[in-house]
Order: sequence, then structure tokens, then C-alpha cells
Amino acid sequence: MSGPRYQRTKRQDQRLVGFECQDCGWVSFPEEKRTCKRCGSAPADFEEVGLAERGEIKTFVVQQYLPDDIETPQPVAIVDLPQVDGNGEAARAYGLLTETHLAEIDVGTEVEARFRELFADGSRPINSFKFGVPRATKGDSDRTDDNSGDGTGDSGTGDGERAGADPGGRDGGDGR
Amino acid sequence: MTRDAYVVGSGIIEFGELYEKSFDDMLEEAYLNLLDGVDGGVAPSDIDAAWYGTIDIAGEGSSGSALAHATGLFETPITRVENACATGSDAFRNASLAVQSGAADVALVIGAEKMLDDTAGLIGSAALERLWRGRGVTMPAYFGMRATRHMDQYGTTREQIAEVSVKNHANGVKYPYAHQQFECSVEDVRESPTVSYPLNLYDCCPVTDGACAVLLASEDRAREFTDDPIRHAGWGLSADSFQRGDDLALSNFPATRQASSQAYERAGIGPDDVDVAEVHDCFSITELITYEDLGLCADGEGGRFVEEGHPHLDGDTPVNPSGGLLSKGHPIGATGVAQIAEIFEQLRGEAGDVQVDAPEVGLQHNIGIGRNATGAVSCVNVLARD
Repeated sequence: MSGPRYQRTKRQDQRLVGFECQDCGWVSFPEEKRTCKRCGSAPADFEEVGLAERGEIKTFVVQQYLPDDIETPQPVAIVDLPQVDGNGEAARAYGLLTETHLAEIDVGTEVEARFRELFADGSRPINSFKFGVPRATKGDSDRTDDNSGDGTGDSGTGDGERAGADPGGRDGGDGR
Repeated sequence: MTRDAYVVGSGIIEFGELYEKSFDDMLEEAYLNLLDGVDGGVAPSDIDAAWYGTIDIAGEGSSGSALAHATGLFETPITRVENACATGSDAFRNASLAVQSGAADVALVIGAEKMLDDTAGLIGSAALERLWRGRGVTMPAYFGMRATRHMDQYGTTREQIAEVSVKNHANGVKYPYAHQQFECSVEDVRESPTVSYPLNLYDCCPVTDGACAVLLASEDRAREFTDDPIRHAGWGLSADSFQRGDDLALSNFPATRQASSQAYERAGIGPDDVDVAEVHDCFSITELITYEDLGLCADGEGGRFVEEGHPHLDGDTPVNPSGGLLSKGHPIGATGVAQIAEIFEQLRGEAGDVQVDAPEVGLQHNIGIGRNATGAVSCVNVLARD
């Protein structure tokens, strides 16, 4: 197995770098390609933009039934990450959530990116971001500036990664 | 296009856990049921070309020869079509285009899938390919994200989403080929195990094996096979992804809007003209959203639409009289073909216990997944009585 077919580990997996189409403003992340997926411009003129470490949950689910080697419950969200300079469109991407109680998650919840080893592909670690609800007590220790490939010492597979709440609590809530 | 194509026959097999049947067995049975079901009879030598819809999830049928082996239709051009969950409906579309163009006078469409032989493939494809974006993201998660957003954005209730499943299971017990025939209440849906919040087990279609065949003929040949052919009046096919940043894609499926707009335009109709529809309800929320995307109700009104009974068997716009994927099952390659077969029967007044009141126009719809995003492909076909 040669690893993920469509998306290889690149600089943008370890830095919050997006690519803004100069024709329509759509921001590609994490992929850097030469055609725009919204306006169809080809070749498109993309400019690199920095993305903020904090973004907003646009929608989410909490997965309960997964293969044995994947932890459950596992929350997954669609996260919009604004550009650092506050201008232009946000980048939209999937985000696995970590160190977050299910009851804290909602549409509109602010989350921050945290660098992790997500899983191992054979002997190779696959590093990228997870997202979590910001915590004052954690300060800046979970900042994502480290691009050494070692992460912050959190393997991403320990119990600390578990969402930690009873998913049934989610189901008990009434329709909104 | 130079001429119209007509559906002149269909043959389906019972959907379910068909462990004892091979791909060949299922294809052969659907094919024989079709030959037997054509009013005026059809000989294998009448068939000019065939299209085989499968995503081959169980590792069979990687070319048209798989269909040739099952049917004996060697020396006939057979094309395998794969287009995610729209595989069956796109196989039908391709066969129809061949008839419309004059390349074939009589075309066979068969869709088949063995989902239970290799269910790991459904999860495996999601587990590895997209790094942090999609690690372990499963089908209920892709669609469940729309449910969470739809509830937040439009005030759709969990109960309204469950109503879709209640309706379709009520229909499914009356449909002889359905995989899971049981009735359930909103409470039953709510109390079934959580799969991916906010979706529970009864919000999800079963994993099902199945096959279905339909026969198409040109306008000048159709009446050789039946006095009551049904015209393929329009089609649409489109692709999209919520990663393009369109906010509508968080709560709805723009691809369905694009595909249905094309189909309506080609058919010269609008959503108000649709008398019966077979739509993609892989999950309860998918159908609720599809009401809006097809224009059967306004944006955000899907919950109210089902709650008020409009898509019920006796409602003004019956949707999924066959029980839909939720009770019938979703053998991917067969799904769209079976929907076409059901619309064909509905328009001919042959739908038995699930027959709706004298429909003239029927719509068939699939939405599929790809590149780690739902809404990646949508196919819509419109059938009409002439």
C-alpha cells in the first residue's frame, strides 16, 4: 500500500495554508490544485492565504458505529476557518474533533486546530489537524506551530482523544 | 436526439440477504423475469445492446462480460456503468440515449449489487483516503451532517425526520420485493440505536442484495412489445460537493437541484406536474431534503411537507410508494433500475397495493457520494404516459 491516493502529506497538512482563487474567491484547503472547484477557472490563479487557527462548526455528526480500530463516539464536523487577515472567504473542511465533550458541540461552536498524529499508515505516521473546543487551561500548549512531524506528544489514539460524553445524551435532546 | 425512447418492460427479483445467490444467479433471474414480464414477449435476439449497472462492491462483474455470462447475450455490445449511488439510474440514462440516438432500437438495462458479501468496502473507502478530513467517516455521517444543519437552520424537528421512515416502512410492508417489511412509529425510530447522531438505526436503509432489469425500445419499435409503453421524457445528471463552499450544500443537495432542473426542462414539465416519485432515501433525512431540492415544497419546508402527509401514498405528491430504500434496501447498482421499474408500473396502473391515483408523470432520483462528500452526483429521470 502506498498510502492515501488523493492527498499526500504536504506542507498544508502541518500549517494552516489555503489557496484563494483570484477569480471567484473560493479557498481551497488543504489541497493545492490548478483548477478552481467553484468557478471552473482553468488554469486558475490561486494565491496562498494564511488561515486562522480558530474556526466555526457549520455542521457535525457523532459517529457511533465504526470498525473496531476506530474509536467511538467520534464527532466529525464541517469547519470554516477564516483567513488570518480577516478578509476574503473562509476555508471549509472536515474536522475530526478531539478532547471535546459532545454536549459542547453545536452548529456555530468555535473550535481550534490542534496538530496530531491522526493514525499510522503502516509504519508511517499520518500527521494533520484535529479540532477541539478552546480551553483556557490549556493556554498555548496545543498550538499548531510545530511542524517537526512529532506532533505535541499526543499520539491521537489515546484515551485523551475520546470525546468522553455519552452519545445518548445527544439523542435525548429534542429536535431544534 | 432524433426520437423518443420508451420503457416496455421490467423484471425485478426479491431484495434481501441473498447469500445463496451469486451475481450470475441474480442477473439471470432479473433477466428471465424481464423476458417473462414483457406483455408481447421479447426474444434475446431482439436486444441490440445492454447496459450493466454495478459498483462491483463484492468484486464481481468488472465488465460487460459479467452480464453476457449471466444472460447468454454474447456478441452484443454491453457496457458497464458505475456512477456511485446513481449507477442504476445512469445505466438507464445511457441505454435510453443509445435508443434516442438511433444507435440501438432495443436496449436492456440491468443493475445488480451484492452488498452483504463485502460490507467492509463501504467503510474502508472512507477510512484512509482523506487523511484528517475523512478518517472513518461513514455513510450515516455524511448524510447526518445535513440533518444537523437542517434542524439548526430551518427548525426541522427530529420527529419530522423520523416521519419519512415511518411513511416508507408503512409503504414497504405492501411492496412484495422489499427487504425489511415492518411498520414503525416515530418513537420506534427515535428509540432505535444511535448510528451517527442525529440519525438512528431506523433512519438508515438496510444493507441489501438485489437486481432489477428494464427494457427500452424506440418509438417505432415499442408497440411490438406492449400496448402501454412509458416514455422517457427527460433526464438530468450533475455533480457537486459541499467543499465548494456553497452554504446551501450544508443543508441541501445542489446537485439534485441542477439535475432535476435539467430533467424538468427536457421533459417540459415542472415540479407541480410530478404525480409520483421514487427518490433516494438512503437515510430519512435524504428524502426530506430531496422534497425541497426537487421543488416539491419550498426550502426549509421538507419537515412540514412530510408531517402534513403530502408525500404519503394517499397524499397529493406520493413519494416512494415502494417503501423506498429504507424498507426495500439499497443494492447500489440495482437501486435506480428498481426505481424506474416502480415508476413504470405506477404509470401503467400495475403497482398493486402501493398504486397511487392515476399518475401521468413520474420522477426517479438518486443522489450519490464521491470524493469524500455527499451530493457528489445526482441523476434524475422523468417518465410519462403519452
